[in-house]
Amino acid sequence: MTEIANEKKASRLVVWLLAIVVGLVIFYLLDHAVMGMQGLPLNWDLTPAQ
Amino acid sequence: MMAFITPRRIRRARQSAGFLATVPTLIAFVVLACGGLATQVSAAEGDDAVTGVSADEHDVARTTAASLSPAPTPQREDYPSIGVSSRGIVWVIAQMHLFFGALVLAVPIFVLVIEIIGFRTGDDRYDDMAHEFMKVSLTAYAITALFGGTLALALFLLYPHLMSYLMTAFGSQVLVYAGLFFLESMLLYIYYYGWNALRYGNRKWLHLTLGLLLNGVGTTLLVVANSWTTFMMAPSGVDPETGAIVGNIWEVMKGPLWNPLNLHRVIANVAFGGAIVGAYAAFKFLSAKTPEEKAHYDWMGYSSNFISILAFLPLPFAGYWLMAEIYAYSQQMGILAMGGILAWLFVIQAVLICTILLAGNYYLWTGMARSEGADRYRWAIKYIATVLILGFLVWVTPHNVIYTTAEAVKLGGGNHPVLGPLGIMPAKNIAVFLMLICTFLSFQLYRRADKVITVSWQYWGNALMASIYIFAIVNIIFAGVYYGYFTNTVYKVGSSVIQVMSTVVVIVAGVVIDSLMFRGAKTLHVSWGRVAERSQYALFALPIAFTWLMALMGYVRSSVRTHWHVYTVMPDKSADNFIPTLQTVGNMVTLVTLLFLAFLLFIFWIANLSGTRQLPVAEDARSQHAGAVT
Repeated sequence: MTEIANEKKASRLVVWLLAIVVGLVIFYLLDHAVMGMQGLPLNWDLTPAQ
Repeated sequence: MMAFITPRRIRRARQSAGFLATVPTLIAFVVLACGGLATQVSAAEGDDAVTGVSADEHDVARTTAASLSPAPTPQREDYPSIGVSSRGIVWVIAQMHLFFGALVLAVPIFVLVIEIIGFRTGDDRYDDMAHEFMKVSLTAYAITALFGGTLALALFLLYPHLMSYLMTAFGSQVLVYAGLFFLESMLLYIYYYGWNALRYGNRKWLHLTLGLLLNGVGTTLLVVANSWTTFMMAPSGVDPETGAIVGNIWEVMKGPLWNPLNLHRVIANVAFGGAIVGAYAAFKFLSAKTPEEKAHYDWMGYSSNFISILAFLPLPFAGYWLMAEIYAYSQQMGILAMGGILAWLFVIQAVLICTILLAGNYYLWTGMARSEGADRYRWAIKYIATVLILGFLVWVTPHNVIYTTAEAVKLGGGNHPVLGPLGIMPAKNIAVFLMLICTFLSFQLYRRADKVITVSWQYWGNALMASIYIFAIVNIIFAGVYYGYFTNTVYKVGSSVIQVMSTVVVIVAGVVIDSLMFRGAKTLHVSWGRVAERSQYALFALPIAFTWLMALMGYVRSSVRTHWHVYTVMPDKSADNFIPTLQTVGNMVTLVTLLFLAFLLFIFWIANLSGTRQLPVAEDARSQHAGAVT
């Protein structure tokens, strides 16, 4: 029972980590795209490139 | 042969026949679109003619402009006076016309959507609700026309030179407007009175087509009238030196502010219309005598609030576009609106918008009592409320206040050392977008309250949704703080688009993820009518705040013209060619709001009266006698 519970916990952790990565990527790319489209490019660390 | 004619085929054939009924509408839209395109092409050709490359052509254009009638320049004594402020009279009448116009043009938009939902689901409740919404709109229609006619008379009487100039600019377009108004009236009456006659089967398609036409004509009326407003703010198709009309009607109409205002008004009207019919539902709910009536009007109130807040969520984006275009057209105008004396009205705007958001959220939270599954989400309310209150406090913080010398010395400058940074746009943008996200969260929780999600990937879906919320909030705060306070102005302004898009991502992701997760979900029982009466007062708060807001911001939009009837081409030399004091503005805005609310109560009463039937005298006496005995 404990093994199943641990396995479930681990898979949930993976789900959360994946969700966080997806969220992070979406908004990181969004920032670059939105500012780039306005002619305001950003560096990789989101500081202004101009 | 008969075996091939199955009920399914008959239904399909009927639906096809019904679809054919929509063909005239589609043709009408195609013709309108082609007409618009053709005019655009001719306008583009006109552009080439006026802004031709050769100097000779340029001179010819100038000579032509000079030979045309310039904009009139009446002096103070040329303005008729009836002993009362002309601006005050026009202000009140125009605002009343705009309130009612917004209501009667907006209601058919969402009524059609509700009718379509009812048709597709086969649930008569939607149809009944849509019909009842139209009853409110129909009663308001005559008042709209009366105020419109009175406004035209007042303008021709008090500002004849301006009206003469506008008639020159728009020419026969005003007759097209009048024609559209006739068409709108006919369609409105057929749509409302034909509701029960065209309720089922193919006839319903005809009714839906009428609704579509009604909305097409109504929206065209709106955008035509908007072109008059935007022409006065940012004239196009005119010679900038003389004010002579040199462009064709399309060039005069398609000013830089036309489309931003069109979008802003359509969305705002829907939010406003939703709030008004919500108040009607609350009025009926509170006066309902039976549980069935209470259930019906509770559901109606919920639907109205849903429409109103849903339309309200994208409104700041449309407002942002309008304001950005105003800045782009004239920095002086933009700065006057948001950095000068009128900026104070934006602080009041903040109070009103926060009132709307708080009332809308409060209604949703109390409405959760209808559902058995709401307890799962109730814990989140206190956090949402905290963000809303903090957002409200940030938004309402002014950048600077007029101090006495002693106060300024004590403060160490013109701005408060701690609260000062909260007075500028980056902080306010953070507050606004977080409040919008929280309002959407309230909606999402409300929608989930009566469902038990059963899809296998629900854990993944919830984690993704939570992650999107967290990163959207972080992104909004990061963009506001970092680009707003630590980079240059260009990046500061550009970063507000990041905040807009982050909010849009949350809303779109929320709708898509929920739609997928609700597939096969178990629906819990919802007890319509089981809601605290105090929640209905939130529905009353919405139209009051909306009305005030429209009056206030409508004034700001109009006032940025300062001492011009038509900005930069026709000066206003009347006795009222100045920006009034904030006190006068506050009084006028409050007056028109109260006046509109009084008319609204009259409309509710009339709508209620139409459903009241007196018993025959003898029967009435018997029932009264029976009541006395018991």
